[in-house]
Parts: sequence; C-alpha cells; structure tokens
Amino acid sequence: MLKNYFKTAWRNVLANKFYAAINITGLTVGLVVGIFMLLWVQDELSYDRFNTKADNIYKIGIVGGTGLSKQIFSSIIAPVATFAKKEIPEVKDGVRIMSVGEAPFKYKDKIFYEDNFCFTDPSYFSVFDFPLIRGDKRNPFPDNNSVVITESTAKKYFGNENPIGKTVIVGQNEPVAVTGVIADYPKNSSFQYHVMLPLSRFNYLAYVKSKTSYDGKTTVPSMDADWSSFSFQTYLLTAPNTNSAKLEKKLQAIHERQKPEDAPVPYLTQALPKMHLYQADGSDGGMSTVRTFGIVAIMILVIACINYVNLSTARAMLRAKEVSMRKIIGAGKFQLFMQFMVETMLLFALAAVLAITLMFILLPYYNQFSGKQITLSLTSFNVWACIAITLIGTLTASSIYPALLLSSFEPLKALKGKITAGIGTTAFRRILVVFQFSVSVVLIVSTLIIGKQLKYILTKDLGYDKENILTFTMRSDMHKHADAVMDELRKDPSIISATVSSRNMVVGGSSTGNNDWDGKPKSSNLWFNQIHGDKNIIDFFKIKLIQGSNFTGAVADSSHFIINETAVKEMGLTGNVIGKRLRIQTINGTIIGVVKDFHFQNLHKKIEPVVFQYSPANSWRVYLKTTNANAQRAIAVSTVVWKQYNNDVPFNYAFLDESYRKIYTDDSRQGQLFNIFSVIAIVISCLGLFGLATYSAQVKTREIGIRKVLGASVARIITLLASEFMILIAVSTAIGLPVAWYAMNKWLQDFAYKTSVGWSVFVFSAFAATAIALATISVQSVKAALANPVKSLKNND
Amino acid sequence: MIKITNLEKFYRTEEVETIALNKLSMHVDTGEFVAIMGPSGCGKSTLLNILGMLDDPDEGSYVFNGIEVAHFNERKRADLRKHNIGFVFQSFNLIDELTVFENVELPLIYTGVSASERVKRVEEVLDKMQIMHRRNHYPQQLSGGQQQRVAIARAVVNKPKLILADEPTGNLDSSNGNDVMELLTDLNEQGTTIIMVTHSEHDARYSHRIIRLLDGQTVMENIMV
Repeated sequence: MLKNYFKTAWRNVLANKFYAAINITGLTVGLVVGIFMLLWVQDELSYDRFNTKADNIYKIGIVGGTGLSKQIFSSIIAPVATFAKKEIPEVKDGVRIMSVGEAPFKYKDKIFYEDNFCFTDPSYFSVFDFPLIRGDKRNPFPDNNSVVITESTAKKYFGNENPIGKTVIVGQNEPVAVTGVIADYPKNSSFQYHVMLPLSRFNYLAYVKSKTSYDGKTTVPSMDADWSSFSFQTYLLTAPNTNSAKLEKKLQAIHERQKPEDAPVPYLTQALPKMHLYQADGSDGGMSTVRTFGIVAIMILVIACINYVNLSTARAMLRAKEVSMRKIIGAGKFQLFMQFMVETMLLFALAAVLAITLMFILLPYYNQFSGKQITLSLTSFNVWACIAITLIGTLTASSIYPALLLSSFEPLKALKGKITAGIGTTAFRRILVVFQFSVSVVLIVSTLIIGKQLKYILTKDLGYDKENILTFTMRSDMHKHADAVMDELRKDPSIISATVSSRNMVVGGSSTGNNDWDGKPKSSNLWFNQIHGDKNIIDFFKIKLIQGSNFTGAVADSSHFIINETAVKEMGLTGNVIGKRLRIQTINGTIIGVVKDFHFQNLHKKIEPVVFQYSPANSWRVYLKTTNANAQRAIAVSTVVWKQYNNDVPFNYAFLDESYRKIYTDDSRQGQLFNIFSVIAIVISCLGLFGLATYSAQVKTREIGIRKVLGASVARIITLLASEFMILIAVSTAIGLPVAWYAMNKWLQDFAYKTSVGWSVFVFSAFAATAIALATISVQSVKAALANPVKSLKNND
Repeated sequence: MIKITNLEKFYRTEEVETIALNKLSMHVDTGEFVAIMGPSGCGKSTLLNILGMLDDPDEGSYVFNGIEVAHFNERKRADLRKHNIGFVFQSFNLIDELTVFENVELPLIYTGVSASERVKRVEEVLDKMQIMHRRNHYPQQLSGGQQQRVAIARAVVNKPKLILADEPTGNLDSSNGNDVMELLTDLNEQGTTIIMVTHSEHDARYSHRIIRLLDGQTVMENIMV
C-alpha cells in the first residue's frame, strides 16, 4: 500500500513538473532561510547558558547620576565583591574582571598582540565553567607573576610544547609564567579572554606599588579601598533561589555605609544568561532584534506553507476526477488522506534534502554575513533539533488541510466537474493570499525604514569631525616624550593638524560623579563624561565653541573647564555661565567656555553632559588629521615615530570613521540580513501568487473562451483575471501598512536619534507591492487572454 | 438482487427544485442484464448512481442483496460498494498517472488483497480482456477501445456481483463498441449481473430487459427475447 502511495506521489510530481517545481522551490527557499534565521535566534538565546551555575550568577551594576546624565555602570568598583562575600550570606563567591585594551606578549623572539586580555580573580575558573585543563585547579594563580591562557593561545605561543612553566614577557619588561591552561571558550560565551592575569597583580601594580588612584592625587592603599574607580566587571555566585531585589538593597546598603556621600546609589543585578541580550537595567540589548528575527523566520516558513496549501488546494479541483475515480473504485477516506499526506511528505522530503544541501553550501557565506559561527555538525543536537522541529512543523501545517479537502470530495460531483462550485475554499485561499501579502507589505516597509535609519546614522552630522583622522595610543615611553612626538608629527606635510586626548572619541572613556558647582542642588547626582586633551582638541575636532573662550595652553588652563550645552542645562545654570565655579574630582576651577552639543556616543544614546579638561598628562591617545590622499604617508610617518620608542611592539592604529562604522556593524549587518530575508519572503509569496494565477487562468479557460467568442478584447480579459488578485493586494496593503507603521515606530524607539517616518515610504511600499504582484500575475493572464478560444472551449468538454 | 421501492431524488438550487426520480420502483434479479434507456434528463444517471451507492435517495427503499442500504452512511456504502459493484463509464475514467496494470490493480489494493494475489488476478483479467500486451502502457497511449477494455478489466477484477455501465460505448466507434458489448455479454453469461444505461437501441438489444424512463418514472419495460 505504502509503495503504491509513493509511486503515485512520485508520478504526480513528474506529471506536474511546473507545480512541483514551484512548490519545491518555495519550500526549499523557505526552509533554508527559515532554518538559518532560527539557528541565528537559537545561537543568540544560548549565550552563557553552558555555565552550569548560570542561573545563580549575577552581574552587578550601579546606577549613577540623575537626569540626562543618569548612567548605568556595568563595570563597578572593586570592593563590592569583597564586601558582599564577607557580609551577605547568600553570596557564595565573587569574580571581578578588569579587561585591558591591548598589550604585547613576548615569547622568545615572537611577539603576540593580545587584545582579549584581563586581570581576574582565581574564582573565574570555578564560578564559570572554565576549569583548568592543565595546572592546579585549586590554585590557578600561585603568585602575582602567574598567567592562565587558553588552549589555542598556548598552541600559538608554544606550539606543541608543554606550556606550563613557560615564561612570557608582558608589556615592556614584565615576565610572567604560565600556570594554567583552559579549554577554548564556547562560541556562545560572553567571555572571550585568551590571557588572564591575577587581579592581585593589578592591585599590586596600580595601588600597592604606586600608592595612587585614578586622579593621581589621592592615596588609596588597595583596590578594595577604592570606592571611586569603576573598572571591574563584578559577578556574584549566589545560593539558589536568592531574591535579587533584596541582594541589590544589601549591596546598596554596604556602599552607602562605606561611602555616604554617594547616596543614593541604587544597585542592579542581572542574571548571567540575560547578559547577552539585555542591558544591565533590563532594557533591550538585542532581544528585540532576536524576537524580530524569530518572528520573520516563522513568517517566512508560514508563507512557504501557505504556498503549498494554496497550490495544492487549487490543484485539488483539477485532480477531482482522479480522486473521485479512486473513491468509486473503493478507496476509503483514510486511504486517500494517506495518499495525499505521502505526496506532501515526498515533496517535503525533496525540499528538505535540497534545503539541507543548500544550507551546507551557503553556511560559510551565511556565517560570514551574519557574523556567526554556526556549524551544521551531525553531532550538534541543537542544530538538528531546530531543523527537525521546523520540518515537522511546516509539514504538519501544510499537509493536513489539503489532504482533508481532497479526501472529502463527493465523487459524483467531482466526476461531473461540478466540484469548482462545490468546495468553499476560494474564500479560504483568499485569506491565505491576503495574509502572505500583508506580511510582504510589512517587510517592504520595514526594509525601507531600517535602511533609511541606518543611512541616517552613518551619514548624520555628529557635530565633530571624524573623517581622515588617524589615531593610536601612546605607550609610556612615548608618552614621556609626548611634546617631542607631537612636534615631529606636526612637521610632516601629510598631517594637517594633531591633538591628544584621554578619550577614544567614538568608543567612550571615563566619567565622574565627583563634582560640585555654585548652586548645585542637593538632590543632583550629575555625572560628566570627561574629555582630557591639549589646547588644540576643540579646534581639531571642529567642535563649535558657542560661548566663552578656548584653552590657550597656559598653566592656568589646568583649572579651566569647557562644557557642552547639555551640561549647562543639566547643571541648571542660566544666563552667562562663563566664569562660574566648577569642581571636577579634585580640581577646583572655572568654566571658560561652552560648546555646541555633539554626538560623542552611540546614536542609540542621548547626548550626555561633557566636560573638557586641559590635561596633556592624562591624554595618551594621539589624533592626526590627514587627507584621503595622504593617509598612507601619515601612517608611515607615525610608524617611524612609534618605532623610535617601541621598537619591539607593533604599531596599532585606527581611523576614526572606520571605528565609527564598526560601532554600527551589528546594526548594518542586521539591516542587511533583514533586507535579504525580506526579499526572499516576497519572492516566495510571489511564487505562490504565480502558481495561483496560473491555476486561475486554467480554471477560467472556458469562461475566457466564451467571452472571447462573444467579443471581449484581450485587455478586458486581462483586467478580468488581474482584478481578482488586485483586490486581494489592496486588502493586504490596507492590513499591512498600519502593522508596519506600528512595528517600525517601536523599532525606532531604540534610537535616541532617528530618521523621520514620512508617508512617502508607505505610499511607495503600497505601489511596490502592487507592482510586484501585478508583474507576477500578468504573465499568466496575458497568456490566457491570448489563447485561441476554439481550442479552449474544445478542451474543456 | 436489487429491489427499489418508491425511490425519490430531488435536486435543489436556491430557486428551483428538480425531481430526478419520482417514486420509482423496480427490481433486478441476480444474473440479469438490464438496460436503462430514456431521453436526457430522465433520471437514468441518477438512478445508476443510487444503485451504485455513489449517491443516496431522498425517499424510498433500496434493498441490495437483502440489505436495506437507502440510509447507509458514506463509509458503509463505500465498503459495500468496493466488494460488490464494478463501474464502467462512457469516458473510461482511467487514472492517467497509472499504467494499465496499476489501474486494474487499484481496486484490489483498496480491498486489501495481497501483492502476489493481485498480480495473479490482474494478469488473469488482462488476459481475458486481451490487453495483456499493453500492461505497462499508460492510458494516453491506448485507443479508446483499449481504454474501455482496461476500464472493464478494472471493474471486474474484484469479481463484483454487479456491474454498472454508464453508456460504455458512448465514446467508441461501432466496431470497438461491439467488442465492448460482447465482453459485457460474456461477463453476464458467467454470472455477473449487469445494469447498463445507454442511448443506443443497438446496445440495448444485448440485454435481457429494457427499462425506459421518462421524468423519473418507469414508462415501459421491454423483455428481450
């Protein structure tokens, strides 16, 4: 029996190659895209969950500032973990991570530039699931000169030699010995540090030895006594079922007891698995994109299923005769049901095989494009579970209805060809088509608006100049001779101007809440973003000075401040602010200028208060303005200067505009993915529409023949055929546009600065959807209209 | 074998009610060959469909082999049908995607006959219909006469007690038509009851008895000698 089902199904595929091709293509494309997207979603949702204690690990954050300066610190002060472990019973352990930008690591004559390196507590290896595979598990860092590295780092440094006990030189001349090796991180780990040094080493170097803190003035004996330096990611391992709200209160109480002047200082906790997709305060950090992708993936699969259902129910009418004959001969309902199920399964099997093959072929491109590293290994349960669930889901959705419909024909009517009138599926099919096209309309609008917003971000006038600016960070030897370095660089004709600053202009930098000014309200807890620099910094970046004067480079400038408009507003200052008193940390000074607001941060954020401070000593970052044509020369000149001071360290530089674009890599990438998926969804919808139009023309052959005999023109007949679909498209547009409007406004809420959503996008989308649909159906309509009526009338007998 | 009494069947549309069968009574004995004749729209096909349990009557009684089937549900009718009745149509109604062999095999599959038994029986009947050499051809590759022989083979392969033929020669030329009539006569002589709807007086002469219908009622019965 089963063999017979398969045989019939196979011959049916062969006999109706056109429909089979449309069905299989639609399903295959739908499956490939749907599964790819679901794998992406699955990967995003899986972050950090491999940690067995994930649900009991909390990342700790602190809320600082008020008003527009309110910010959430996800790197906090070092003593929190120490006090929490000591004083809060439900806190079982704590891990602090101080990540450090970049540093050279030297082994024999080889130098490796590590940008994923950190100082951390030994508990890092036990709280998280990163156990040592070599070395002493109970004591990963026997002393301050220990280092733990990952397996691939060990391989990179030492080849196949045993890494334990090998000495590497960190930075300029600090030898450390490898005391442990951990397995490489899973790709879905938020932690990707390849080199880990003991935090106690940092404590020793930064506090014990130098006896100073961040401002270079106050004396702090150890990092555990420093309540001001927000540099340490802090994770607490708690007892199961710990109430996180209570934990926050307890942490806040400790802080306010130790440093009453900070009060109120609310704390935040975030469970480890949420870290990847949410911000510290629980707001969106990618979850909405994941949700959007999930929805679009399911929509694409539904569209592909609808195609199948639509085409096979439409075709049911053409097959009514065969079905009836089978019934008359003795086929039971169940037998017919099974026959159609088998037919669907066969088509699905073909589509699935094609889809999986295609996925293997496209995977490298997809990974490159999406920035993921998904593998389709045969052993990966998650991947195959995702594929299997998708297949079963779509198969069920698209097989049952057509099978039920086909098996429930009344054989007599079907044999007499009366079935077209008999089945009430036209309404049902119309609803499906409307659904498909509504989704398409939403996707068209979304694609346009997302594209518009991305363009807006990337081309927005930020209020400062970021074009053709070469930047790099000086190392200590070079910084000691900063004046000479800058003079030498300025001399070269390829460099138009130069400045130094503490801040990486597109990434970020330090901020402080330790401040005071005349008339500061008691309730105010304002935080300033600090930009240290030399006297050129404002001119260099072409930031507009709107009040007062600029730095001159005089000694007095070290107690002069230039603030931005937002700072003025948030400080509550009115009238002339020039000459007003302001204290930033330990520096008591005056405001000498106000600059126009500029976007020194990601456009997802509103502009915050900024203070410029004249302090070349704190400015380690060099900025060089060049031109497009001279860029290579500027790099070469900088390299020569660099080598004078750091012969053994490679020269690492960046261009500001490139760094800026990099910040939006995720946004752009998601935008592009969305574009591609939308186009595919629309193509699949059109495929279905094309099939339906073909069917519709087929069913109406006789009607068209009669009309032509009676004198209808070709144009009239095309109108007749097309109008049926155009009404559906109109309804779809009417449904799709408001949905798109709502969805896109929600999406744009994530950006503090956004493009306007004008009506033109919607009008254009409506036209686009109509044009695409019209183009799709017109081919068949024209063909049917041009057919010889004599032939069509004869055929239909 | 068949006894129908006061059979009524109406077709309703929104505005018109058409009476297809109007208190029709008749009987057919086992082994009979009956022809049903009458002008278009007289109810011949409706009657044949009810006899074949493809349709149910609105009123009246239909006793098939001693069982009242008039109000059987579809599943019961289908079950009774597939074991007892074979159909032959004017337009053959072979399934295009299946070969000659597979078309004839189909009823056996649906009645759950084993594969080896199916081969035996299909070959037997194809042999009898002299169409064995075409067993692997598809319907489109056959002439009308050959197609109708396949259809008859399919109708008889399950050894039904009754064959219902709806204008079996309607689409054939006279020579092929005669062949088909000979085949039906042979089957009848071997014991199969045959009820045939026809427009052709020539074909009707092969039967034992002609029932003439007009407006859903029997108007005359001719016993053939």
